[in-house]
Amino acid sequence: MQYNVTVIGSGPGGYVAAIRCAQLGFKTAIIEKYDTLGGTCLNVGCIPSKALLDSSEHFINAKDHFKEHGIDIPAPKVNIKQMIQRKEDVVKANVDGIAFLMKKNKIDVFKGTGSFLDKNTIQVKSSDGKETKVVTEKVIIATGSKPTPLPFAPFDKKRIISSTEALTLTEVPAHLIVIGGGVIGMELGSVYARLGSKVTVVEFLDSLIPTMDGTMGKELQKIAKKMGMDIYLGHKVTAVENKGKEVLLKAEAKDGKVLELKGDYCLVSIGRRPYTDGLGLEKVGIETVKGQVPVDDHLKTKVDNIYAIGDVVRGAMLAHKAEEEGVFVAEQMAGQKPHMNYLLIPGVVYTWPEVASVGYTEEQLKIDGRAYKTGSFPYKALGRARASMDTDGLVKILADKQTDEILGVHIIGARAADMIAAGVTAMEFRASAEDVARMSHAHPTYMEAVKEACLAATANRPIHL
Amino acid sequence: MAIQIKVPAVGESITEVTIANWLKKDGDVVKVDEVIAELESDKASFELPASSGGVLKILKQQGETVPIGEAICEIEPSAQGATATPPVKAPAAAATTSAKGESKPSGSGGVKEMKVPAVGESITEVTISTWLKKEGDFVKLDEVIAEVESDKATFELPAEATGILHVVAKEKETLPIGGLICRIEMTEAAPVAEPATKQEAAATTGGGGSDKSYAAGHPSPAAAKILSEKGIPASQVQGNGVGGRITKEDADKTQLGGTAKPAEVKAQASQAPPVISSGGSRNIRKDKMTSLRKTIAKRLVSVKNETAMLTTFNEVDMKPIMDLRSKYKDQFKEKYGVGLGFMSFFTKAVCTALKDFPAVNASVDGDEIVYHDYCDISIAVSTPRGLVVPVIRNAEALSFNQIESEVVRLATRGRDGKLSIEEMTGGTFSITNGGVFGSMLSTPILNPPQSAILGMHNIVERPVVKNGEIVVRPIMYLALSYDHRIVDGRESVSFLVRVKEMLEDPGRLILGV
Repeated sequence: MQYNVTVIGSGPGGYVAAIRCAQLGFKTAIIEKYDTLGGTCLNVGCIPSKALLDSSEHFINAKDHFKEHGIDIPAPKVNIKQMIQRKEDVVKANVDGIAFLMKKNKIDVFKGTGSFLDKNTIQVKSSDGKETKVVTEKVIIATGSKPTPLPFAPFDKKRIISSTEALTLTEVPAHLIVIGGGVIGMELGSVYARLGSKVTVVEFLDSLIPTMDGTMGKELQKIAKKMGMDIYLGHKVTAVENKGKEVLLKAEAKDGKVLELKGDYCLVSIGRRPYTDGLGLEKVGIETVKGQVPVDDHLKTKVDNIYAIGDVVRGAMLAHKAEEEGVFVAEQMAGQKPHMNYLLIPGVVYTWPEVASVGYTEEQLKIDGRAYKTGSFPYKALGRARASMDTDGLVKILADKQTDEILGVHIIGARAADMIAAGVTAMEFRASAEDVARMSHAHPTYMEAVKEACLAATANRPIHL
Repeated sequence: MAIQIKVPAVGESITEVTIANWLKKDGDVVKVDEVIAELESDKASFELPASSGGVLKILKQQGETVPIGEAICEIEPSAQGATATPPVKAPAAAATTSAKGESKPSGSGGVKEMKVPAVGESITEVTISTWLKKEGDFVKLDEVIAEVESDKATFELPAEATGILHVVAKEKETLPIGGLICRIEMTEAAPVAEPATKQEAAATTGGGGSDKSYAAGHPSPAAAKILSEKGIPASQVQGNGVGGRITKEDADKTQLGGTAKPAEVKAQASQAPPVISSGGSRNIRKDKMTSLRKTIAKRLVSVKNETAMLTTFNEVDMKPIMDLRSKYKDQFKEKYGVGLGFMSFFTKAVCTALKDFPAVNASVDGDEIVYHDYCDISIAVSTPRGLVVPVIRNAEALSFNQIESEVVRLATRGRDGKLSIEEMTGGTFSITNGGVFGSMLSTPILNPPQSAILGMHNIVERPVVKNGEIVVRPIMYLALSYDHRIVDGRESVSFLVRVKEMLEDPGRLILGV
C-alpha cells in the first residue's frame, strides 16, 4: 500500500497527527503494535489512572465526607475488582472512539510492529507473524515511551511494578512503597492511599513533583501527609528485593542513615524512557541520543521525510504536548506555518487536589535573574471551595515586576487542571496580572481564586483576604 | 540608546534592497566598520559595515526586502555587555486611539511644511499615489506617510517631523519638485481624543491599555501562524488589539506589498486530492525571486513587448583568426600578461562596423534617436546570481591587450559580485557569447535601451566550399538581434557582413577597410 503519510504509534501524538494529516488531504496510515489504539495515554496512562483516581475520590467522600454533608450510609467497602472493571470499560469506550475516528477520517490502521526497511518503506509485523509492507512519502515517528526500570531491580511485574501493573492490581496493597515522588508516583500513590493502603514515597530529590514550582511541591507534601502518606525526601534507593510475598527496600539519606522499608508492592515511578525498540532506525541512519530521536525545530529528523513527535523527542512527556506536535508536523507538511510555544504547554498532576501550572516557575525566574512579583490566594478564602469542602490548595501568580505581564500560573487545588487553560490563554495573549484581575469572573467559582491571586500580584490588593 | 542602522542610499534608481546574508548573528558583539551583512539590490550586491560598535539586534531577517532608509538592525553600545538579555520590547505602536473627534496636541512646537524632494536629475514632477496616513493622524518622525510616484520609480515619503498630519495635496494630484505636500503640526506625544477615549484610557490603565504596552506588536497564536505563512514579520504589522496586540483580524488584513495572497494558494493546494507516487520524491520547492532576478524578468519581458526585435544570421570562418592567434598568443601573453582571446577581435570588428552603421549603435529615447560617437560595449557575463552586463568603455579606442584585460577584470568582478552600478550602465551595444556553453545558434535578446546585440556561438569544424572545393573549416555562426524600429534590414545585414569580413581577414581590422 502507498501513502502520503504514515504514523508509527497511535498514542495521543500519533492519532492526532494522523487525523490532522487526513483533514489536510493526505492519504494516511497509522501503525499500532498493541491490539487497541490510543497508546499509553488511553490504555495504561492518563485515562485509566483518572478513572481510578475518581473512583478512589468517590470512596473517600463516601467514607469521610458524606456524614458531614448529612448523608448517612453504612461504612463503604472497596470492591477493587469492580473498580478495575469500570476502569477497563472507560478505557474500552475511549479506544473504540479512536478506532471510530480513524474510520471516519479514512485512515488505514495497521496492527503490528512497524519497522523501517528504508526511509519510504515500513514493514509491519503483526502478532500472528503476518508481514505487510507500507510504502509512504513521509513518516511521523510517535512511538512514545516506557517506564524506566531501576538498574538494579528490573520490573518483575509481580511485586516490583510499573504504573501499568499498578492500574490492574486485584487487591488493595497493605503497604505500597512508591519510588519517585514525581507526577506518576504521586497520582497512583494517592489512589491507593485513599483506598486504604499505607503508602510510603521515597524520592531522591529534596521535593515532590520537583519539575514544578516549589510552592506546589510543598503544598502537595502537606496534603499527602494529611492523607497519611509517609514521604522520605532526599533518599537514594540502593536495593529493592522481591521476597515472594513482600518487597524489601533499602535507601540511604544524605547523612548516610539507612532506611529500610517492607511492603507488599513496590511501584517504581522514576521516569519514562523514549521507546524506539524494533523500529529499525538504523536502517534509515537515525541514531538516538539518550534514547530520544533527535529532531530540529520543525520536528524533522536528519532524514528529510521522517518526523518525530511526543515522548520520543525532547521536551515534557505529556499527551497534550504530543498532540500539539502532531498537528504542528501535519500542518507543516501541508505547507502551513504553525507555531509551537513550549513555554505555554501546561503541566498537570492528577492528585486530589490537582496541581497544574504554566509558564515559568519561581525557581526558573530566580535563575534567570528576572525581576518578578508574586501574588497568591488560598482556596480556604474561597466561598465555592468552602461550600464543596475542597479548601486545600492555592493559586500563585508570577508577574513581571515592571510590566506586570504574567510569567507563570501555578494552581494546586480542586479543578486546577481545568482552570489552567485560562492561564494559558492569558499568557498566549501576554496579558498582565491586572488584565486578568479586571476581567469579570463568575461567582461562586474556583476561578475566582485566579482573579484574586492576580489582584494580589498586581498591587497586593486581593478583595477577599 | 541603541543606534539604528538603515539601508543606505546606494544608487539613484534603487528603491529597495534584499538582505542576502547576515554575517553576524542576533546578539553578536560587533566592532565599528566591521561588515555585518551583505545586501543585494536589483543591480549589485554590497556590504554593510557597522556604524558603531556594540551588540547587534537584527530587525530584518535574511531574504527580506527592505526599502532604502528603513532600519535593518540596531546596535546597542556594548557598555552593558553581551549578556544582558534584551527585554522583549516591540516597537511602540502608534496610538490606537486614532483621533477622530476633537484632538488636543500635548505640547506644540510649530508647523513643518513638507515639500516634494528632488528625487532625481531628470524628474520634474511627482504624483501622490497613496496617502498611508489620514488628515489629522498622529505621525512619527521617519514614519512613511505617503507613496509618491515619478515616471521612473515609486518611493515612500517619510514624515519629516512628529506631530499631527494636515494633508495639502490630494491623492492622484501631480506636484512639481518643491511643491507643498502636507504640513505637520509638531507635537511631542500622541494626542488623546476627548472625551470618549479618555474614559477608555482610564479604564484600562495598567498593563493592557496604555499606548506603549510591552505586548504591542505581539501576535495572537492564530495571528502568528497567519503572518508566518504570509512571510510578514510581526514588526511590520500594526496591532489593533488591546495594548497594540496583533489580532487574527489584523493578520488577515495585512498584505505583503499588495501581492497575491500566498495563503489562499496554499490552502487550495492542500485541498487537492493526494497524488500517490511510486516512491520517488514529489517534493516541490519554492524560493523567493531575488530582486536581481525580478528585475531581469521585468526588463526582458518589456524588451519583447516594446521593441520590434528580429535577428539576422551569418557564419564566420574562424581559421584566419585562429592561425593569427596561435602564432602570436605566447608573445602576446608574455608582453601584456593577458591571454589573446577572441573577444578582442570581435570587439574591434564590432567597433569598426558600428562606425559604418551608426544606427546599430543608437538608441530610442521617446521620439528621438540618440546616436553615440563612441562605442561602449556591454559584454554578457554569467554569474552565480544571474546574467550581468558590464561595459567596456570607449572600446573603439582600446588596443587588443587593453580590451582583453578589461574583459578579464569585468568578468572576475562579475563572478565575485563586486561590479558597481556604474560599471554596468550605459553600454551602446552588446556582445553575448553563448558558445562558451556550447550553443550552436541562438537569437539573443536586446539589452535596452540598446538597439542591437551580437551573439557569438561555438566554433565547429564544418565542410564548406572554398574556390569550388569542399574543405573543413572552423565555423562560428553569428547572430545579430536588432530593433527594427530604428535599424533597417539593409543596415543590420550589412553590419553583420562587415563584421564577418573583418574576422575572416584580420588585416582589414588594422586598415579599417
